[in-house]
Amino acid sequence: MADEKSTGGKFTAERYKLTDEKAVLALDVLRQRLNRQLEASLEVCVRCGLCAESCHYYVANPKPEYVPAYRAEQLRKIYRKLSDPLSKIAPQWTGAAELDQEMVEKLINSAFGSCTMCGRCVINCPMGVDTRHIVRTARAMLTAIDMTPEGLKATVNIHLDSGNNMGVGEEDYVETVKWMEEELQAKLDDPSLTIPFNKKRAHVIYTFNPREVKYFPYLIQAAAKIFNAAGEDWTLSTESWDATNYGLFSGDDAAAKTIAGNLEKAVNNLGADVLVMAECGHGYRSQRWEAENWLGRSYPFKVVSFVEMQAQYIRQRRLNLDPTVNKKRVTYHDPCNQARQGGVIDEPRYILRHVAMDFVEMEPHGVENFCCGGGGGMLSMSEFAKDRIAAGKVKADQIQATGAEIVATSCHNCLDQLDEIRRHYKLKVKVQNLSELTAAAIVWAKP
Amino acid sequence: MTILNITFIIAWTGIALGLVGILLRLREIMQRPYKKDYSRSRGSARRGILYAFTLGMAPWEKESTRQHWVAYLRGIFFHLGVFAAFGVLLVSPWLDRLPSLIIWIGLALTAAGALFGFAGIAMRLMGENERALSLLDDYFSVFLTSLFIALACGVLVWPGLLPVFYLVTALLCVYVPFGKIRHCVYFFFSKFFFGKNFGHRGVLGPDNQQAMEQTHHGG
Repeated sequence: MADEKSTGGKFTAERYKLTDEKAVLALDVLRQRLNRQLEASLEVCVRCGLCAESCHYYVANPKPEYVPAYRAEQLRKIYRKLSDPLSKIAPQWTGAAELDQEMVEKLINSAFGSCTMCGRCVINCPMGVDTRHIVRTARAMLTAIDMTPEGLKATVNIHLDSGNNMGVGEEDYVETVKWMEEELQAKLDDPSLTIPFNKKRAHVIYTFNPREVKYFPYLIQAAAKIFNAAGEDWTLSTESWDATNYGLFSGDDAAAKTIAGNLEKAVNNLGADVLVMAECGHGYRSQRWEAENWLGRSYPFKVVSFVEMQAQYIRQRRLNLDPTVNKKRVTYHDPCNQARQGGVIDEPRYILRHVAMDFVEMEPHGVENFCCGGGGGMLSMSEFAKDRIAAGKVKADQIQATGAEIVATSCHNCLDQLDEIRRHYKLKVKVQNLSELTAAAIVWAKP
Repeated sequence: MTILNITFIIAWTGIALGLVGILLRLREIMQRPYKKDYSRSRGSARRGILYAFTLGMAPWEKESTRQHWVAYLRGIFFHLGVFAAFGVLLVSPWLDRLPSLIIWIGLALTAAGALFGFAGIAMRLMGENERALSLLDDYFSVFLTSLFIALACGVLVWPGLLPVFYLVTALLCVYVPFGKIRHCVYFFFSKFFFGKNFGHRGVLGPDNQQAMEQTHHGG
């Protein structure tokens, strides 16, 4: 990927050259996406700068270009030039600008390179500006003219081509799950425990992040243990099983729609009532909150996160738990796409108070929690890795202040980023998925 | 016709033109497609909207306004000054008949508003971020509005300033649809969408515990 980008934020590969045709296409995308919500956000900013400290990039490196309003201003400049009468006459007065090569580079760096679309600035804006929406629109414009950073582009394309974002074949997938099933049966000495595939009319259908299949298969075991312990009528699908949807990050609604539609089809074909999204923040957000809007219709089934499901089982006393198994101090990192974008805030805390002995909050947390830096598809864009790690300092400080030995979370991008900042900032903590802690606390009762 | 009468007519002509401009802006945004949300709600959009326009605006509700409470309160007093100045404009033909209490309240609000308005320009010039963010339009808009408030304050003390006040009113109102002051139109849309989005998702507004119950027992 070295030829894709040189230093200093300059994108030198041929596809990053803005031609007249590309400029027209990008502006068409902006026109098409200009709905009431977007126009309100583009117009209402008063450039007060109160959003500055809400951004982890700015807190870690207080430069004006990391102020969310400054970031959004790059698209505003283009929008004004396109649609504001005064800006057409006096662009310098209103800060309007043409979409030229320099602006394209600014857009790439601000929309892809230094924003995880975590929404913390949205919550903190006194005017209600939705910077997530603005940044995603900028990403959509850039994606339409083939200027998506290579890693993110590849992730979406692999998903579209193979049905999952890591290109895991069906045979590998089934074999890995079967292997985990056998191991779990042996570990618990219970051959009745199953991980069913393609069970018609099961109540619940569960998904995975392909990283679980490829690198963290023990998380498959954790999920299986929880579902089996709860006596859930559940199944996996071989038709479509990937919880992720990087179309959310590239701003490509067509790709996002196809990916979401595949999962919808799999659920409908099996006739399940509930689609449970793996512990994957953006996957949950995509399927729970955005997918129906991409598809233009409501699902006949319910979509919940695995975190909500675990909380439900505990609430319904379907899990026999021994919290003394998890004695070490645990803190919880709220994935932005679950907490701030989806309201899944009380559930993880409810779970941790039942499965661990010493749960402590990091400050701030919940709606106001800082992004770890792994959101927005940032982990797939190696061009911006240095800034991503630097921005993770905020999270590292938050974790350190808790004195916790375990950081629990419920998102794979968070998990990877937290692990990277753990190593970089030399934090003496272990990063774990919430389901691992829940599964460990289950007192297994053989039938 | 006296200068006062002429400037009075100019002021109201400016207001009328400004209103037409605002209506055109409103028409423009209302002609844009409305992004319907097909997802099942987790909380209450209504409560989210209510929150956005009430408690959500309290200075303690957001980390940003807790940290920058001086800047936030400056903005609040500035806007109170704007409303008070328009109040002065409405009652300007009858200033001599106003009870002194009203005059004093008007004076306090407009004096504070003007002071905090001009202070806003200074803050923009002094803060690194604010300077990087600010456009010529921002400086001009804040200056013009602050001048309008200052003149409203002035006419309460010396009504001889009324012609100048009327001329500045006209200029301000004509400029509203063109410059950043038009955020007054979009503020209601933006806050509405903010509240609706986060309320619908059970993030803000409703009791989150309630949302959790709904999720778990709602089918």
